[in-house]
Amino acid sequence: MRILLVEDDPLVSDAIVRGLATAGYVVDAVGDAESVQGRLDTTHYDLAIVDLGLPGEDGFTLVRRLRRDGSSLPLLIVTARDGLDDRVNALDLGADDYLVKPFALPELAARCRALIRRATAATANEMVVGRLRIDLAGRRAIDDTGRVLELTRREWSILECLAHHSGRVVSKERLIQAIVSWDEEISGNAIEVHVSRLRAKLGDAATVRGIRGLGYRLDDA
Amino acid sequence: MLGYLLLPLVLLLVISIWADHRTYVTPMYEAFDRALSRAAIAIAAHVQQAPDGQLYVERPESGLSPMQPPGPRPVRQPADPGIAPHHPSSMRFDLEDRAVPWMHLYPGGRDNFLFRVSLPDGQTLAGDEGLPAAAGTPVDNMAYSDALYKHVTLRVASYHTTVGDTPVVVTVGETVHRRDVVVRRLDTVIGLSDGIQLLLVLGVCLFGITVALRPIHRLRDQIMRRQPQSLQPLPLEPVPSEVRPLVESLNTLLVTVRDSTLAQQHFLTNAAHQLRTPLTGLKAQLEVLASETQDKTQHERINRLQGSVDRLAHTANQLLALARAEPSAHSPGDFVAIQLDVLIGAVVGAMLDRALAHDIDLGAECKPVQVHGVYWLLHELLINLLDNAIRHTPDGGNITVRCGVNSGSPYLEVEDSGPGIPHAERERVRERFYRAAGSDGQSSGLGLAIVEEIARSHRAGFDILDAHEGSGARMRITFPSRA
Repeated sequence: MRILLVEDDPLVSDAIVRGLATAGYVVDAVGDAESVQGRLDTTHYDLAIVDLGLPGEDGFTLVRRLRRDGSSLPLLIVTARDGLDDRVNALDLGADDYLVKPFALPELAARCRALIRRATAATANEMVVGRLRIDLAGRRAIDDTGRVLELTRREWSILECLAHHSGRVVSKERLIQAIVSWDEEISGNAIEVHVSRLRAKLGDAATVRGIRGLGYRLDDA
Repeated sequence: MLGYLLLPLVLLLVISIWADHRTYVTPMYEAFDRALSRAAIAIAAHVQQAPDGQLYVERPESGLSPMQPPGPRPVRQPADPGIAPHHPSSMRFDLEDRAVPWMHLYPGGRDNFLFRVSLPDGQTLAGDEGLPAAAGTPVDNMAYSDALYKHVTLRVASYHTTVGDTPVVVTVGETVHRRDVVVRRLDTVIGLSDGIQLLLVLGVCLFGITVALRPIHRLRDQIMRRQPQSLQPLPLEPVPSEVRPLVESLNTLLVTVRDSTLAQQHFLTNAAHQLRTPLTGLKAQLEVLASETQDKTQHERINRLQGSVDRLAHTANQLLALARAEPSAHSPGDFVAIQLDVLIGAVVGAMLDRALAHDIDLGAECKPVQVHGVYWLLHELLINLLDNAIRHTPDGGNITVRCGVNSGSPYLEVEDSGPGIPHAERERVRERFYRAAGSDGQSSGLGLAIVEEIARSHRAGFDILDAHEGSGARMRITFPSRA
């Protein structure tokens, strides 16, 4: 996996390159927005990490330009600004996620992983969560021993929905919408039953964590 | 306002009644006096000189008619019973009404009429012997004065004339009852009419003031309708010229405040960038260094460095949050409708990993509720409440975030299963940089100060309460009722 980093601060840039390298990514760093296009023309990237406060053309303009040119490259914004306007602006312009400085490298790595996973799922129809391989096209989940989990239709729908938002809390309402058709009625309790069965089938390949009052979150382990 | 208006108006009323009284009372008394003098002259015409030189007064049957064309009328009822008639009733007269035309309006007033014809030496020829002559200096042979006769105040007029060669003084007197009644009634009428005028003036003044103040009221309503933090200049157009300078100076003030707000926001953005970027580099470099170092002692040193950098980053974040929470740092456009349950979902999601790291059961109990606020400030508020709760909750404990509506007011609360905050400390923990005894080295002492500041900027209350269960603390933000 190859990541393009657009960051003008050499200390930050160097640390991200090294940190993500240990997480298994190859990172190319550039110091300004003007150099981005040349890199994109010659190399395939799975993700770009863009600092908003760049000298010259800023991150906003870069994101807008990339999206206007039709690029579908996943974009993760990192910035020292934390005002809501900046956040909304960046996401509205087409950035995929947003991380406020100072952040921990593991968090950055997790965000990168989630973004790449989502982007890959769209093209390769496959997702990896923890030791679980989720085959979206074949509608089946395979654990690290190669065993195909036997899931009911509803359990599969729940797993698929959670996997698409892995690492984030998914509300019960959203899960209900994911598993029922329009004319069906299903209660929150029924969801709990399905989730506990799914949990049992997943074993320790991945964890479905219940968040009291909010929903569920699929974690790597 | 009414007080300022009423006092001078009442003073004015008193002065005008007094002035009116002075204006009419003199000519009216003169009219009464003239009538009296005509009566004296008429009586003088009846004084005849006998061939022997003696003077006598003709009987009224034959002579007093010039004064009263229909002839003397009998007294209907004596107004002053104190004066007993010295003469037959035929010798008494009622004063002719025509002398004072407005007397028609006031029937009721009737006077006793007395006369006396005397010689200069005081010898009485006819009439009431005790009636004193007028004391004043005669003008055109006529003198007037007030006199006291048998304990009754009289107005007397003395006519100095001669019959044949003999000087004669004809004195007429009447009780002042009638003129007193007239004066009293006129005073009443004038008092009433002046009073009505005063009320009308007061009404006109109040109406005028209300009308004149209407633009100011409109201006006030306009200001009240604005968002509380709106710094947009007020429109000059519908404002009348009288209040325009006021609006202009208000606008100047607003522009100044807005400029300083913008400068403040600009400064904070720059400060945030300048602080956070090197901290990010430092933190990330240390993490890389830690992962590359195998040496145990080195590792421990790096860990301690990381701890310090984290604390520094935390404090920088808190200081920036505190500065941003100040009212001058955000604009009214930032206030939007916020779904508290959605906000809780977002913040709890972000804090979940920290809670899970301490094996804390972090959950929520939410009812859908909306408040009016600045999203990232409330986001910051909840992060600080949760950060505080996670710090003070022992591993394996639980934290619950709630929102809902309590008697019309939306609320947001965070309850933990920590040791709680003693009553004595509950005010102090809101102070900036205050750190409770036993708090860990990681706390900046700013978290609850930020909560306090943000709550204030939303006109919300911030209460530190006891947990529903156990010994923990329950931090509650109560938003103003929307009703």
